[in-house]
Amino acid sequence: MTDRAAPRPHPVLPRLLRAVGPPLFALVVSFGLGGLLMAVLGKNPFTVYAVLLVGSLSGWPNLAVTLQLTTPLIFTGLAVAIAFRSGIWNIGVEGQMLMGALAAGIVGYAAPLPDWAMVPACLLAALAGGAAWAAIPALLRAYIGVNELVLCLMLNPIALLLTGYVSARVLKAPGPTNKLPDVVDAARLANFSLYSQLNTGIFIALACCALMALFNNGTVRGFEWKLIGLNARFANYGGIRVRRNVIGVMLVSGAIGGLAGAEQVLGVYGAFYDNFSPGYGFDGIAVAMLANSSPIGVLFSAFLFGALNSGSSVLQMELGISKYLVQVLQFIVVLILAARFTFSWRGWRRPLVASAPAVTLPMTLPAEQGTTEA
Amino acid sequence: MLSDIAFSSIRIATPLVFAALGGLYTFQAGILNIALDGFMIVAAFAAVGAAFATGSLTMGVLAGVLASMALAAVLALFNLRFRAHIFIAGIAVTFLAYGLTALLLKAIFDQDGVFASAAIPVFPALRIPGLADLPVLGPLLSGHTLLVYVAYLAVPVVAWTLYRTRWGLRVRMIGEAEDAALAAGVNVDAIKLQTMVISGFFCGLGGAYLSLGYVSLFAKQMTDERGLIALAAIFFAKGRPVATTLVALMFGVATALAVRLPQITGTAPQLLQIIPYAATILALVIVGIRANRSSTQNGWRFDT
Repeated sequence: MTDRAAPRPHPVLPRLLRAVGPPLFALVVSFGLGGLLMAVLGKNPFTVYAVLLVGSLSGWPNLAVTLQLTTPLIFTGLAVAIAFRSGIWNIGVEGQMLMGALAAGIVGYAAPLPDWAMVPACLLAALAGGAAWAAIPALLRAYIGVNELVLCLMLNPIALLLTGYVSARVLKAPGPTNKLPDVVDAARLANFSLYSQLNTGIFIALACCALMALFNNGTVRGFEWKLIGLNARFANYGGIRVRRNVIGVMLVSGAIGGLAGAEQVLGVYGAFYDNFSPGYGFDGIAVAMLANSSPIGVLFSAFLFGALNSGSSVLQMELGISKYLVQVLQFIVVLILAARFTFSWRGWRRPLVASAPAVTLPMTLPAEQGTTEA
Repeated sequence: MLSDIAFSSIRIATPLVFAALGGLYTFQAGILNIALDGFMIVAAFAAVGAAFATGSLTMGVLAGVLASMALAAVLALFNLRFRAHIFIAGIAVTFLAYGLTALLLKAIFDQDGVFASAAIPVFPALRIPGLADLPVLGPLLSGHTLLVYVAYLAVPVVAWTLYRTRWGLRVRMIGEAEDAALAAGVNVDAIKLQTMVISGFFCGLGGAYLSLGYVSLFAKQMTDERGLIALAAIFFAKGRPVATTLVALMFGVATALAVRLPQITGTAPQLLQIIPYAATILALVIVGIRANRSSTQNGWRFDT
């Protein structure tokens, strides 16, 4: 939320509260509903949440798993957040991640490079793969005006099927599983935990967050991207070339999504496996929304969801509750936060015209959000 | 062999047709309802659960339809009342539905992936008296289960409600020009809510067919992105009922071939499965190129 014509500078505390309030509210409601659901199913909600907490955070082995599961969420959350900050919903991160992973997987086993160049080359390939996949909706949206949301939605299964085709037919490694050959040892991101697949990719993720925070708050381009997110028309009249910048936003977003794939291939699995992702790209939407698009916020919300995911497998073992409880909690949060932007707490009056609320997405005004070029 | 494929295409396309019919209403009302998959999965689960508990197919289908309509109402509530972005709310509802059904599958039936039981009743294949004796069409059109016929016979009904009733005119008016509809005194939100709930109704039938007619079990994420393929069919056919159904049928054929053809020729199934999505993107691009570009400002269209 922006400060509306504040006459005096806000004290720190209310401002912090305003930033943290809505996500906290969403979390409380979500955990409350989840607890209610557990109670209905005959489990003690407090036990459930206690097991989740202990199972994700107590002791280095559990914590290592949590951090491993946090890493891809930082990347995908960041990818969604960058686009969202500019008023673009990049719901194609899942596909961009798969393409980045495929690129990293191919370069990782096939490129004849010296050892020291392998990891950078793989990462570059992943960046390029993700950006290239994001370029499709970006260019089609920018030059032909096709709804980028629909494009992203269709491109996700296409990416999954294409990478599946490559890993099952074209470049299949010998053996029963659909995967590419293992990447060479020099291309692996070092694993530093005995208990999980936690690897140096997490430092790349942290670096991305820091870079993005610097970029957002310290560069002209970062300011311009924010401006486009706040009001694209105003940005246009202010002399910002919206089309060029929006394409740039999408490319950066896709590239970071690609890095998520590289971390999985080079760090966790050691090869590209068909259908490896449990939906990290979509989880990124939840992460970014909870973080309200702030790169630093992404760290916290990715850690929260990483911890929940890690605790949920303990939950499944100890209490026999499906780990999908976490998915339910996660998307209740998304649903509630999605409502936040236009929900007026003061007065329940509906706007007279179903037109754009002040703060939402300028690219897809609600009046048009349903239509494409019908 | 060929008639075999045709027969199974009709079966395979049935949930697509149901979902597409549901999606049609919201599409025509200008709502991009991407939660068709979520509606179907809760319906499939509720249908199996109720049919297993009561032993009655009617109760199963009823429970599926009601569950799906309830979820549709939730999505409508968040989209219309709380003005949540339809895409984000739709994704949230879909994944919520995936998660919830998997959670309940474990909690109620103590299964991790699939719940099947001999106690789940199955739809009998219907032999249509006059139709079954036709030379070529007979074995093709006769011998399906009840819901298959419901799906295809619903198409003209849907077309009629959208194009021949006052309510349908209002739906299409909202889709074409929401502000104008509002100015003309149409209760936009009420009609949008109605289309969403009808969407839930058809997806409910589709989900119930999936778990009780097509197979007789519930599997985690068994909808397998059929909602998305249905959506693709709607976009491809620009939301016209008959055309949408034909496209859904075509996509059904592609899916049927994706199962059969690899066994014979060794083609990769993925390449066939890509067809619906790729065709839709192609169609959107062609439409986009042909659309007038008068509204661009500095090369950027603000209201797409």
